[in-house]
Amino acid sequence: MRRGALRSFGLPAPDALIGIGVVLALAAVPLAGPGTYLLGFLFTIFMYGALAGSWNIIGGYAGYLSFGHAAFFGLGAYTTALLLFYSGWSPFLTLPIAGALAALFAALVGYPCLRLRGPYFSLVTLILGLAMYSLTLNLPFTQGASGLFLPFLRVDIYTSHVIFYEIMLGLLTIVTAVLRQITRTKMGVGLTAIREDEDAAGTLGVNATRLKLQAFMLSAFLTGLVGGVYSYYKSYLDPSFVFATSISITIALMALFGGRLAWYGPLVGAVVLSIVNEMLTTQAPPQTARIVFGALLIIVIMFLPDGLISIIQRRLPAFVLRRAKQAAARDEIIGNR
Amino acid sequence: MLRGVGITKRFGGVTALRNVSFEVGAGELVGLIGPNGSGKSTLFGVISGFHPPDDGTVFFDGRHITGARPHTVAQLGIARTFQIVRPFTGMTVVENVRVGALYGRGERRIAVADRHARELVEFVGLEQRADTLARNLTLAEKKRLEIARALSIQPRVLLLDEVFAGLNPTEVRGAIDLIARIRSQFGVTIIMVEHVLKALMETCERIIVLSYGEKIAEGAPSAIAADPHVISVYLGKTYAAR
Repeated sequence: MRRGALRSFGLPAPDALIGIGVVLALAAVPLAGPGTYLLGFLFTIFMYGALAGSWNIIGGYAGYLSFGHAAFFGLGAYTTALLLFYSGWSPFLTLPIAGALAALFAALVGYPCLRLRGPYFSLVTLILGLAMYSLTLNLPFTQGASGLFLPFLRVDIYTSHVIFYEIMLGLLTIVTAVLRQITRTKMGVGLTAIREDEDAAGTLGVNATRLKLQAFMLSAFLTGLVGGVYSYYKSYLDPSFVFATSISITIALMALFGGRLAWYGPLVGAVVLSIVNEMLTTQAPPQTARIVFGALLIIVIMFLPDGLISIIQRRLPAFVLRRAKQAAARDEIIGNR
Repeated sequence: MLRGVGITKRFGGVTALRNVSFEVGAGELVGLIGPNGSGKSTLFGVISGFHPPDDGTVFFDGRHITGARPHTVAQLGIARTFQIVRPFTGMTVVENVRVGALYGRGERRIAVADRHARELVEFVGLEQRADTLARNLTLAEKKRLEIARALSIQPRVLLLDEVFAGLNPTEVRGAIDLIARIRSQFGVTIIMVEHVLKALMETCERIIVLSYGEKIAEGAPSAIAADPHVISVYLGKTYAAR
């Protein structure tokens, strides 16, 4: 049982303690007075970690590969930005609205789209991101391609970096906790069954249509929240970035790269790929950087289809198993005496 | 308990089932036979909600279940196995069975579902393999898993699609034993599609024969074995005349 839980869902109980420790340590980082560069870089990692984690609920657990999550990210960002721009509402009000709108949108598009399986679903979601981009570009109140300028926080640059750093860390923690909780509840079992064989899941009483929709909405809600925080952080919104297909693809790749079967996989993927990407873009000429980045992705996905974390997972059970066997052998010897 | 009236199912231009009616009483064990392509699996598909029929009705406990979706049919208490086994290959044996224990019975707590799952895994004789990934099982073990999974929804009717196919004689013997134990322990009604006729003749009280989508005979195994129409369908007209 232990081994089963370990393989498909992640490390057992002590993981929560480690997680809380890491979060507290990260939350204390600004006390050491790092520069704005490091804070900004960590903010980006946290953001991608939260996005990849949100994506994983539908893309990883349920196996419905969405390539259009930028639609929810952008929707959250624009909802927040427009509410701030036109009404000046507090973030405590606009952020939940951003998430709720993204979830509502997911319900509307998910109802027909989630009937499609495999590549057909992926293609439709890809178009979704593009459609949202065109829409934002042409709606009268979004200021189209010139983008939206938002008021800054009335604090100095460094303090504002620290504030957004802490907020995104909090959001990442929430997303990761949700992701972990799903694997420990009925919902996780149902989503895994859908990923493995949707028809067989149906014969066992799983209402796949409803469960997929719930997962899609939850995923969109969290993605919309991240988008909302991003628009406050950036204070300038441009449809070509927040609805970019590259965002949709990047977060999907991060989750797949890290490992979509365990709750910490997308996080590992986001951290590793963000760091690799940052190192390559600062150290190597852009063309070389792209080639190396692409090659790395291909190698990992070819040789580790269950992601980077499968290396750890393969080692760990073998080790645990060996210990258990030794113990059993010892008991037998004692028993024979 | 389970009744079908005038069921017709067409796939494009092919009529897979034509005006088939049947009735199965509580606790019965009924065999469903017929040459390849005679509509046996389609009939299972119609009952379990995979293939809504073009015409006709299915009643379960007097309740109209025609066209209900598979998960609804499962929650009502009709379980099926697949002719080609379809375990969740990336899950362990217990995790496979847990799915039905949670969703088929409406259980919420994973720990309780796991307990049910382990009992069933032991019942079908897979306790040694409980924590093995389903993809690493032998065919005979996969068939046992398929049965444990079907039982996990606490079914009142069990539709078994060729559980003996591909098994060696010892394994067939084991599977026959298992079916007998399922009946005595759970009192569940069973309809089984089978090509291993000898096994069927031994276990079933009644047999329904399909050919080209139509019901051509129904009755006790001995009567079916002597029915000239059935013999001609299986072996050709020459044998039926003898």
